[in-house]
Amino acid sequence: MGACMSENVKLKKENPAAEFFRSIGIFFKEFGEAVAKGDWGVKASLVVMGAGYWKRKQIVKGVLVTLLEIAVILYTVLIGIPYISQLGTLGTVERAMVYNPETMKNEVNDYDNSLLILLFGVISLFFLVVALLLWFANVRNTYRLQKLAESGKHIDTFREDCSAMLNDKFHFTLLALPVLGVIVFNVMPLIVMICIAFTNYDQNHMPPAQLFTWVGLENFKSLFTTSLTMTFGYTFWRILGWTLLWAVLATFTTYFGGIILALMINSKLTKAKKVWRTIFVASISIPQFVTLLLLRNFFANNGIANTFCASVGITDFLRDLGWITTDYIPFLTDPVWAKITIVVINIWVGVPYLMLIATGVLMNIPEELKESAKIDGANPFQIFRKITMPYMFFITGPYLVTQFTANINNFNVIYLLTQDVYTTTDQKLAASNGKEIDLLVTWLYRLTSEQYNYKMASVIGICVFIVCAVITLFAFNFLIKGDKEETFQ
Amino acid sequence: MMGKRKIINSVLMHVALAVLAIIWITPIVWLVVTSFSGYDGMNTSRFFPETWSIRNYTRVLFESDTVSQFPVWFKNTLLIAIFVCLISTSFVLMMSYAMSCMRFKGRKAIMNAAVMLQLFPGFLSMIAIYFILKSVNLTNSHIGMILVYSGGSALGYLVAKGFFDTIPASLREAAYIEGASEARTFLTIVLPLSKPIIVYTVINSFLMPWTDFVFAKIILNSGISTDWTVAIGLYNMLNRTLIPTYFSRFCASGVLVGIPIGILFVIMQKFYVEGITGGSVKG
Repeated sequence: MGACMSENVKLKKENPAAEFFRSIGIFFKEFGEAVAKGDWGVKASLVVMGAGYWKRKQIVKGVLVTLLEIAVILYTVLIGIPYISQLGTLGTVERAMVYNPETMKNEVNDYDNSLLILLFGVISLFFLVVALLLWFANVRNTYRLQKLAESGKHIDTFREDCSAMLNDKFHFTLLALPVLGVIVFNVMPLIVMICIAFTNYDQNHMPPAQLFTWVGLENFKSLFTTSLTMTFGYTFWRILGWTLLWAVLATFTTYFGGIILALMINSKLTKAKKVWRTIFVASISIPQFVTLLLLRNFFANNGIANTFCASVGITDFLRDLGWITTDYIPFLTDPVWAKITIVVINIWVGVPYLMLIATGVLMNIPEELKESAKIDGANPFQIFRKITMPYMFFITGPYLVTQFTANINNFNVIYLLTQDVYTTTDQKLAASNGKEIDLLVTWLYRLTSEQYNYKMASVIGICVFIVCAVITLFAFNFLIKGDKEETFQ
Repeated sequence: MMGKRKIINSVLMHVALAVLAIIWITPIVWLVVTSFSGYDGMNTSRFFPETWSIRNYTRVLFESDTVSQFPVWFKNTLLIAIFVCLISTSFVLMMSYAMSCMRFKGRKAIMNAAVMLQLFPGFLSMIAIYFILKSVNLTNSHIGMILVYSGGSALGYLVAKGFFDTIPASLREAAYIEGASEARTFLTIVLPLSKPIIVYTVINSFLMPWTDFVFAKIILNSGISTDWTVAIGLYNMLNRTLIPTYFSRFCASGVLVGIPIGILFVIMQKFYVEGITGGSVKG
């Protein structure tokens, strides 16, 4: 491992982008060399991929590669090309009823489905690129074989190739399925959705009945426009503002709340620490959607929390102060109250998790540090500020950053607490389907599930990505220094 | 003098903790007592019900109607969870072993790509996944749900990688010297040492279908209640028109799902902390 580590250190010093382009350069240089200097086997493998292997008596490998080649060509000709050729227009023939003289009936014509063209066009294009790369790599590999044969070295049999897949090349075996899964279920869908941001796919252009097509940056423009008919600009900035405020509030209230709770439970003054901890953990062992839906009813306008507040006199007191005008407290129905309630409920949901984490970290703080600080005359608060917190930050820094982006995307808390309950009175927000308490993600979801406005949803999704990426990059470059990887190995 | 102050502090601390504990436990108590109440809807005037009964449980478990089909939902979710658990766990372990214990070209590139991918909001891809699944007729099917939950699971490899990072490399080197292949080392040396992280990954992926609400709602959208998972079923019970008749049954079902999940969560607790702090917490 020592050797690997030093090699890794060497790699780290180089610029990753330069490294990447250099390896691409080497790849194609080797390919060019193979075409120029290869024997007939290598040159034949430009057409029949297995040829180079057959020449070196790697029959099975050659057959497998050739079969793959045939499959790719068949797929491309039969399915790929028709879709890819339509990618430019996303279809031209709209669905219509056409009179068929043979059957004497109106029939549906042979229409284009823009969505399917986009989906399969992108997927086929991706396949094609991968296939091309494989083809390049294949020619290069056969040339490598030629060189091996010329220098009289041993050429692996099929059996040896297979056992290499469990040895030196074991990472191929390990990564094949997981990475394929990620490509199919993350990368492909993302590419398709990013493409949709540049089309006019919305409720007026719904396949299969209608076509949609490319519109360039039109949707990005409308996201930043506010006019009489278009309120996306207004809604976007309001929702972005609340999303960021929410992420800050949600992250830091639960973070410090959790630390304080952990300090209280682990204090020397506290008896029966385990019992206290269990009580708080009990509240998170019920699935989140159950507790959130429960709390939504707990804090409903005619819910039990309001009954309690009314009977104790809090409702009257708040009305006297002029904070509410209704005869109930609008916990989840008034813009300001709802925001406060949501943050408070999120504290309730999040603090126990943080308490668990903080307990784990706190127990690990070297006792000597605290003792020596105490001898130097530091009071408990100073110890907390100078020793406990820096240590916590050091260990949980990366978690804090991921937690922040997770909160930007915190769908569950907002959606489950406010869906069907909260209605906005702001006409401008309502016009673009937003609400005061929406985060960018819940707005995105509402746009798709209620309005079928996929184009704007995709644009918002891209914005969320940009926001998260900027924050993460900033945090990791300036706040958290150093890479902890391999410190323990 | 000092002792007296200490006692006062200690009492104050316990009082504060007790107040907090009451706040945290109240909703859970409300869930439990409502599930044992003798009425159907929500009693908003009293915290504890006037009449007690286990009828909500018997109805949830044995008398399914068009709205409440808890046994079917439970079976669906369990089935999905078992398969997700198998696929996700193997994906995550395979990915993290390759990333932690092997060195190959493109390793860093894959790790960077994984970080990038996770910055996109989950549903953005979910909408496209819905269309892809629809074009191969897998929406509203449990196979579709299993694919959705486990397909991209390899992206969650970081916690397990952190654990593998702490296994001394010398153990693996000894195995190589004795002539063990990489695959053998993975299966017979590293995996047996990784029980904690396997338990964590298994439980984590098992819980996914029980706690997820969004993806299930997008994929299982036909409105046929026998296809649903527990989460959508319970959400539907709180529909404005259904609340008056089903709220206490919602509570009973909530308690019923909560018990097994709670037990699993308590088992997982310790690894949860270790995972998030990057394995730097021992003890």
